[in-house]
Amino acid sequence: MANAKSTPGSGPQGFSVGHFVLLLFVVVVCVFPFYWMVTTSFKEQSVILSPTPQFFFQPTLGNYTTAFQKFDIGASLVNSLIVALSTTAISLTLGAPAAYAIARFEFKGKRDLWFWFISNRMISPIVVALPFFLIARQFHLLDTHLVLILIYLTFNVPIVVWICADQFRNIPKELDEAATLEGYSSFAIFWRIALPLAVPGIAVSAIFSFIFSWNELLYALVLTRTNAKTAPVVATSFLSGYELPWGQIMATGTLVALPVIIFSIIVSRQLVRGLTMGAIK
Amino acid sequence: MSADKIRKTYSTGAFFFIAPAVVVLLAVGIFPLLFAVGVSFHQFLLPKVHWHGNFLGIWPIYDAPLCWFQNYISIFQDDSFRDSLSRTFLFLMICLPCELVLGLVIALLLHKQGNELLKKICRVALVIPMATTFAVVGLMGRLMFDANYGILNYLWSLLFHSRPNWLADPNLAFLSISIMEVWQWTPFCALVLFSSLTMVPLEIEEAAKLETAKWWQILWRVQLPFMLPGITAILILRTADILKLFDVVYIMTKGGPGSATELISVFVQRVGFRAFDQGVASAQAIVLLIIATLLSRFYIKFVYKEI
Amino acid sequence: MKKLLCTFCAGVAFSCLGLSVAEAWSLEEAAKDYKGTEIKVIFLDRPGYRATIKMLPEFEQKTGIKISYEIVPYESTREKEVLDFSAQGDLSIALVDLVWLGEFAESGWIVPIDELQKKFPNLTDPDLDLNDFFPLLLNAFGTWNNTVYGLPFDNYSGLLFYNKAMLKQAGFEKPPETWDDLLNVYGPKLTKDGKYAYALQSRRGETQSCDSFMRFIWPWGGSLLDAKFKPNLMSAKDQEGLEFRQKLEKIMPPGIVDFDHNEAVNALAQGQVAMITEWSAFYSTLSDPKTSKIVNDLAVAPEPKGPAGRKPALGGFSLAVTTQADDKKKGAAWLFIEWVTSKAKAKEYVENGGVSGRQSTYQDKDLVAKYPFVPPMVESWQQGVPEFRPRFAEWPQLSEIIAEWGTKMMDGQSTVKQASEEIDKRVEDVLKKAGYYDGKKPLAQ
Repeated sequence: MANAKSTPGSGPQGFSVGHFVLLLFVVVVCVFPFYWMVTTSFKEQSVILSPTPQFFFQPTLGNYTTAFQKFDIGASLVNSLIVALSTTAISLTLGAPAAYAIARFEFKGKRDLWFWFISNRMISPIVVALPFFLIARQFHLLDTHLVLILIYLTFNVPIVVWICADQFRNIPKELDEAATLEGYSSFAIFWRIALPLAVPGIAVSAIFSFIFSWNELLYALVLTRTNAKTAPVVATSFLSGYELPWGQIMATGTLVALPVIIFSIIVSRQLVRGLTMGAIK
Repeated sequence: MSADKIRKTYSTGAFFFIAPAVVVLLAVGIFPLLFAVGVSFHQFLLPKVHWHGNFLGIWPIYDAPLCWFQNYISIFQDDSFRDSLSRTFLFLMICLPCELVLGLVIALLLHKQGNELLKKICRVALVIPMATTFAVVGLMGRLMFDANYGILNYLWSLLFHSRPNWLADPNLAFLSISIMEVWQWTPFCALVLFSSLTMVPLEIEEAAKLETAKWWQILWRVQLPFMLPGITAILILRTADILKLFDVVYIMTKGGPGSATELISVFVQRVGFRAFDQGVASAQAIVLLIIATLLSRFYIKFVYKEI
Repeated sequence: MKKLLCTFCAGVAFSCLGLSVAEAWSLEEAAKDYKGTEIKVIFLDRPGYRATIKMLPEFEQKTGIKISYEIVPYESTREKEVLDFSAQGDLSIALVDLVWLGEFAESGWIVPIDELQKKFPNLTDPDLDLNDFFPLLLNAFGTWNNTVYGLPFDNYSGLLFYNKAMLKQAGFEKPPETWDDLLNVYGPKLTKDGKYAYALQSRRGETQSCDSFMRFIWPWGGSLLDAKFKPNLMSAKDQEGLEFRQKLEKIMPPGIVDFDHNEAVNALAQGQVAMITEWSAFYSTLSDPKTSKIVNDLAVAPEPKGPAGRKPALGGFSLAVTTQADDKKKGAAWLFIEWVTSKAKAKEYVENGGVSGRQSTYQDKDLVAKYPFVPPMVESWQQGVPEFRPRFAEWPQLSEIIAEWGTKMMDGQSTVKQASEEIDKRVEDVLKKAGYYDGKKPLAQ
């Protein structure tokens, strides 16, 4: 059995240093703006606006207290969490089987169906916001979690279908055929054999699905008022067209970004687990 | 069981696997889409039309006059629309290759053995750019690119002794939004390509490594074919998303200075929510949908042979 | 004689009765039928609204009416309100930026005040006194086609904020009286050593079209549209004003075309720039030691005069009652609007950070002494132009056109003449489609 750790030809020691440096560079570039946002959230406005950026300063929690008290960011984070988790869970439930079918089964129009799933992401929200608003109003769904959960499915299910289809396609067909000969139904094959092997794909699509739902702004702005207000809406309510309280904006931005990062850390452990499972066949 | 019977079981089963997803997507999304198509054939200015409730609860009824293809014709006659569209394509052609290449490099870095802890940190770090709300990314861009108190100009002035006006100069403004776009979405490409790389069977990879030490040959011959589906889908999705890109650009520059950073979605928003001309805006969105579809077909045909 | 005396006594008695009835009007009395009503309104994250939010508990306690507000970004406010109104939504109070007044009034979304007074005679505060509002404000923010729809609520004037220490160092005891002085006399002396004389917020958007563009048309005697509503930018006066603006660039910081309110206010607050012409509401930011380094050197004056006189920038919001609200909510909304803009509450409003639109408020000498921006602001409100920006429904479209080409003019992508021609062409197109040239629409702005 091939051991994942020792691979011949991994190159001389020098290459490994280059590898380290490049990885470090990637981490720095990704993290720096975020670091800047977090530090700004602890600064007073006058410090933020001084001509030379301050790296060392007297921190203040004022921005965070304002965000919580004045803007009720706590409630909006809860709303966002409810919406994002629900829509992700439903997307996975709907999308993974569909992805499996596209990867495994042969039927007419399969290609077009795959394309139709992806094309759901191509329509501009600007022109469907109005009909969604009117329909939601008719069904008294304005300012509820449900309306956002449903609408977000239209762009999350395609992501799940696409990523998972790819993943399923790479599982060797022999496993399927062996299982069929043993009398497993197609659903059992899907559930017992394919799904566990597709965990990396499912993890990645869950992360993306959560992120897109969490960050969506236009529909949230148009369809919510006070009860179901999501975090991005609160993050942008500072744009009064009049002044920019940078500290508060950055504090809100940090609070909004944190849950996603935590979610990704939790889920990406599955990514790694799935990988090592893939190696041990 | 015979091969035929196996195949039969598979095709009937397919229906039940796919049906739930299709039914839900159709139920939620088809009526607003059809409504938008319908509106594009009418003269529809929101403050001027009257809403008479919804037919069967789902089809809004309005008293807007029909105007057939008038909206579509006016789009093609509009210089600003054409300018904005070509600007968006320029943006696409600059950002997408950058994202793909950088994403590929990062994916390879993550795939290569060694530095396991740093790789774990890197994988989490990659999520950060995408995790930030787009509007906040726009605000961060404003803060960092600001000519006077932005961190970028501070560092730049230390190195190059000048303070360029990132957001006021038309070309630099365009560059600034491109940088933010690449920063935010390269991790997406990286994670997708990394996921594709993990699907390359280890035996094949190791066999190739024994044959040649040159990594680019391994990449081209062995790894790339497995990544084609991922690359195609990235192309399709990023194209669709760039055609819809709004928040970041609007908050950083509002489409200015002049119209240097007015991407097509900023333009459509102007029409749809400022002038409230939903008729023309819907027509524009349909045109964009057609363009996105054609481009996607193109990608599939030339980049990815089998589905 | 006796009859006359009797009539006289009767008259006195009746007027006393009337007086006592008038005095007996109280908010609590009037609101007793409206206890428990909830009305919805959209607010912005600005000082005037923050002041109002502080005052809400008192209103709710006195009347039992609950005001449910939602804070929304300015850019999305009109969107949200229009969507709500066109779908018969649940907003009972309309927040009306003066440039949206024509659109809202003509679409029938807001209720004229005299209709409200007729419908709810018991709810009208006898102390309402519409004449107490500055005529310019009531006219510009609340009146369309000679009908009053809303009461001025969040009121701004353009003012000249300057750093008196910087001016003194350059040898000036007073701020510039005219724009010409500012450019030719003050400009060169104040623009050196990395500092600049003036900063004009010009970012593409409403900032460009209102703050930057219009500011240099009216004081030169020009106008956006002529009497027949044809675009007028190619007239000599308009061109003179716009060319003047181009000349200002040599005394302004580089990259001025990207400056929004923030950047301009900050430039003054950090001591980089000596003068700005900004909205009165920024006084609080400039006088707060947490956000400003020039607290002790800050001074305020009315905007400089152009060849045609002083025509400062005008902006603001009024509150109106929406047509879509049911009668109960209309009544409750009307009570709130009256109360929050009333004489009785004006002082508290100002002290909490708001800017009142009533003349009587500023007769209080202590108040005036406490807020140095008041005298120049009051003076500016005597002389302003109500159609500083046309308030008809087409303004948002025109604003976008002006914003795009106005910024192109400033950063050299186009000459003043070329850009003006482009604007004229497109504005004419929009107004033609709207029906102003063939009599379908009355020429109201």
